[in-house]
Amino acid sequence: MEVSINKTEDKTLVKVNGRIDTTTAESFNEAIAPLMAPEAGAIEIDCSELDYTSSQGLRIFLMLQKAVSANKGSLVLTNMQAPVKEVFDITGFSSIIKII
Amino acid sequence: MYRKFDPVEGKNAEIIEAVMNCEEVKNIDEGLQFKVRLCVEEVEENILSYSGTTWVSIQAEEDGNSLVICFKDGGTPFDPLAKDDPDITSNLDDREVGGLGIFLCKQMMDSIEYRHENGSNILTMKLRIA
Repeated sequence: MEVSINKTEDKTLVKVNGRIDTTTAESFNEAIAPLMAPEAGAIEIDCSELDYTSSQGLRIFLMLQKAVSANKGSLVLTNMQAPVKEVFDITGFSSIIKII
Repeated sequence: MYRKFDPVEGKNAEIIEAVMNCEEVKNIDEGLQFKVRLCVEEVEENILSYSGTTWVSIQAEEDGNSLVICFKDGGTPFDPLAKDDPDITSNLDDREVGGLGIFLCKQMMDSIEYRHENGSNILTMKLRIA
């Protein structure tokens, strides 16, 4: 699992590659912790190379969404692979996190 | 495939890879492999977090058109399926993550059953593969 974060003028672009699971969830959490700060603003996470997430990953996406909403920022997940999208759909996460 | 992990502590990743690399699983469709990986992770995470067991055994076999995966552990008797499903329609503020793992397994597998037998927790999942 790898995370890259690039700040542009109007948003923060994040790319996450690989699998978020029991083994990697803590690293993912640490990598995106700065995005939970009040000044994080608009965040876009490119999920095109996110191959897998278990409930361990969902937990972190939920915490991020809660922080972003509390900070009046925005969060959007893009280009999600179908099996990962299914995990978000089954758990109802697609209705609380914006996925395009 | 049958493997017993004793002691089991810290073996999360090893258990998942043992299942994913076994003959019964590595040749099935990628979408089905995704489901197997997810459900094995969620179940074993649940066992290792709550049962207090020192060992886990896992068996994967084909049964007709299905793949059957059976987990056994020697921990406290506990039926993870008995818990109420999480409310997946609640709004963001009320949303909780607890219970999502087992809920995902219930949705993705064609069947999942628990029993306690001879001092062991036994969880059996079935997934149609053909």
